[in-house]
Amino acid sequence: MPPIITPIPPFQPDLYQRAWASIPHPSLPLIATPHATSVTIFSLATLSKHSVLTGGHARSVRTAAWQPGMSAGRLRLVTGSFDATAGLWSYNSDKDKKGLEKEVKFGEGEGDEEEEEEDWEFNLVLEGHENEVKSIAFSPTGQYLATSSRDKSVWIWEDVGDGAGPGEEDDGGEWETVAVLNEHEGDVKAVAWCPDVEGRVGMSGRYSSDVLASASYDNTVRIWREDSDGEWVCVAVLEGHEATVWGLQWEPRPREGRFPRLLTFSADKTVRIWTLKVEEAEEEEGMTNNPWGGIPNTMRTELKEEWECTDVFPRVHSRDVYSATWSKDTGMVASAGSDGIIALYAEDATPKEDVDMESATNAAAPATSRWKVLAAVEDGHGPYEINHITWCKRFDPGTERKGEEEMLVTTGDDGVVRPWQVRIP
Amino acid sequence: MQRDTPDNANPTILNVSQLPSRAQKRSTARVGSDSKYDSVVLSSPYWSDASSDDGQEAREEAADDALDEQEIYDLISTVSDPEHPHTLGELNVVRLPDIHLTPPRDNPRGLANVLVELTPTINHCSLATVIGLAVRVRLEQALPPNYRIDIRMKEGSHAQDDQVNKQLADKERVAAALENDTLGGVVDNMLKTCVL
Repeated sequence: MPPIITPIPPFQPDLYQRAWASIPHPSLPLIATPHATSVTIFSLATLSKHSVLTGGHARSVRTAAWQPGMSAGRLRLVTGSFDATAGLWSYNSDKDKKGLEKEVKFGEGEGDEEEEEEDWEFNLVLEGHENEVKSIAFSPTGQYLATSSRDKSVWIWEDVGDGAGPGEEDDGGEWETVAVLNEHEGDVKAVAWCPDVEGRVGMSGRYSSDVLASASYDNTVRIWREDSDGEWVCVAVLEGHEATVWGLQWEPRPREGRFPRLLTFSADKTVRIWTLKVEEAEEEEGMTNNPWGGIPNTMRTELKEEWECTDVFPRVHSRDVYSATWSKDTGMVASAGSDGIIALYAEDATPKEDVDMESATNAAAPATSRWKVLAAVEDGHGPYEINHITWCKRFDPGTERKGEEEMLVTTGDDGVVRPWQVRIP
Repeated sequence: MQRDTPDNANPTILNVSQLPSRAQKRSTARVGSDSKYDSVVLSSPYWSDASSDDGQEAREEAADDALDEQEIYDLISTVSDPEHPHTLGELNVVRLPDIHLTPPRDNPRGLANVLVELTPTINHCSLATVIGLAVRVRLEQALPPNYRIDIRMKEGSHAQDDQVNKQLADKERVAAALENDTLGGVVDNMLKTCVL
C-alpha cells in the first residue's frame, strides 16, 4: 500500500495573501512564515499564531532563517527582503528558558496583539545587496550567514560579536562581510550550507570544512569553499538544469560517511540529485604533495571538484518546481510547485554500483532514476500555486509521538500554511 | 521611463472596427462596456464550487462558464501602450490568433493554461518587458486562480526574446517588479483604460 498524505487543518489564522515559505525552528516547535512585509510565527503545538514580526522592511519579506545555537529562552530570526536588506530580529522571553518552551508548546502568553509585537525586537540591518534579497542561510555552527540576491551575488557575513558567543548579546551582534561571491550570471535564487555530518571534512583537507552551494537564474548551481588563504572560491559549476534553479538542499544524512549529495529543483520541471565524484588518483596526489607549495593563486585550477548529476527524478510536475525537501529521518523527498501537486519520492535501496555503468554512458544525466514516486496529491492548495514545502516535526495534539513524527508543511499563494500527515503503511 | 521621443514614432494603428470582437461574429447589438465583462467578473468561479462534483452536469456547467480566447482578448486588448495614446489591441501588439487557451482537462476544477504571444511594435522595443508585465498583471487580476498564465514575445518579433520571456515567467521577479514604485506606477497607468 502506498503512503497516505492527508491534510491536517491549516495553521490559524489564514494570512489571506501570498506566503512565500515556512521555516521550522531547528529544535523548538515554531515555524516562521514570511508574507508581505511581515513574518508570522506559528506554534507547531497549537497550530496557531505565536507572534508577528512587523515594521522592519519596506518591501516583501521573501525568506527567513533561524540562527542556530542561541542560548535558551532566546530566539533570533534573520529576514531577507525585496527591499535589498536582511534584518536581524531577537525575541526575549521575559520568562526563564523553560518559560519560552512552555509558552510555545501550550500557547501561554498569547496576550493582546500589542504585547506580542513588543516581544520581537528589530536589532540590525545588513546592507550591501543592490537588489532583492532572495535567500538566507546560516552555516551549521551559526558562525557564517550567507545571503543571495537578484544582483547576482552571494555575500558571506560573519558574526564577530565581542566574544560573547552567538546569542549572548541583545543587540544582534556585530556582523562583518567575509566574502562577496560574484560568479553567477543571474539572480541567485537560493543558498544552502552543507550540514555538519560525518564525511563532510574527510573529502579534502585543502579547504576548510564549511561548504556553501548556490542556485541561480543562470540555470547553474555553484559550490563554494574557503581555501587555506581564507579566500572563498567556486570549486564547481553544476550544469544540467535547462531553466532557473529555484533551490537546493544538501543530503541531511549521507550513507556510510560519504560526502552529502545535493538535491536541486527547477523551472525546467525536474528534481535532480548531484554527487561529488571522488577520483582515487586525486586522493593519492593530495596525500603525497602539498598543493600549496608555492603555486600562485592563478595556477590552482586543478583544485576544482567534479560533481555529476546522478539522478533525475521521475517526472511528476507540469510546471516550475518551486520547492523540495529531503527528510533526515526517512530519506524521503517531497516536492511542490506551480501545478499545485505535492509529490513524495523514495530512493531504491539496491547498491549504487549496479547503475553506475548505465549512467557512465550519458554524462549529462542518467537514463534511469533510482527514485520512485510513492504518492502525489493534486490541488494541494486548491487552484493556487505552492511556493514551499518542508519536513517538520509534529507537536500538535493529533500525534502520539510529539517531537518525533514527521509531517509535511506547504505554503501557498492562498496564504494558507497547511500541515500534512504522512503515513507509511 | 519618461523620454522625449518614443521608440517607434509612427506605429500602425488599427481602427476600432478592425479589432476582433464577439459583436461582429454574432451580429447582435453591441454590448455596452458596463456589462461586457459581467460574465467574467460576476460569475461565481467554478473552482470554488464545492458541490460541483456530480459528473456530467458539472462538466457542462464548467464548459459554459469557461472562458474563450475572445474573452481573454477583450481583457487585455484594452491595456494601454506605455508610450502611445493607444491600446495594445489598436497597436496590434495583442492579436486574437496569438492567444492560446488550454481548458482544464478531466477535472473541471483543474488547471487551465493561457499562453499569450505578444508582438511589440518594433524590433527593439525596450518596453517589451513592461508591456508583458502589464498583460500578465491584467490576467492575474481578472482570471480565476486555476488559470496559469504564460506571456511570451512572438517568435522573431523581439531582439531579446529569451531574456524577456524568462523574466516574465519568473514569479519572484514579477512580484518584486510590481513592488518597485516606478514600474508599478507605469503598469497601473497602462491598466487604467481597462474596464473593470
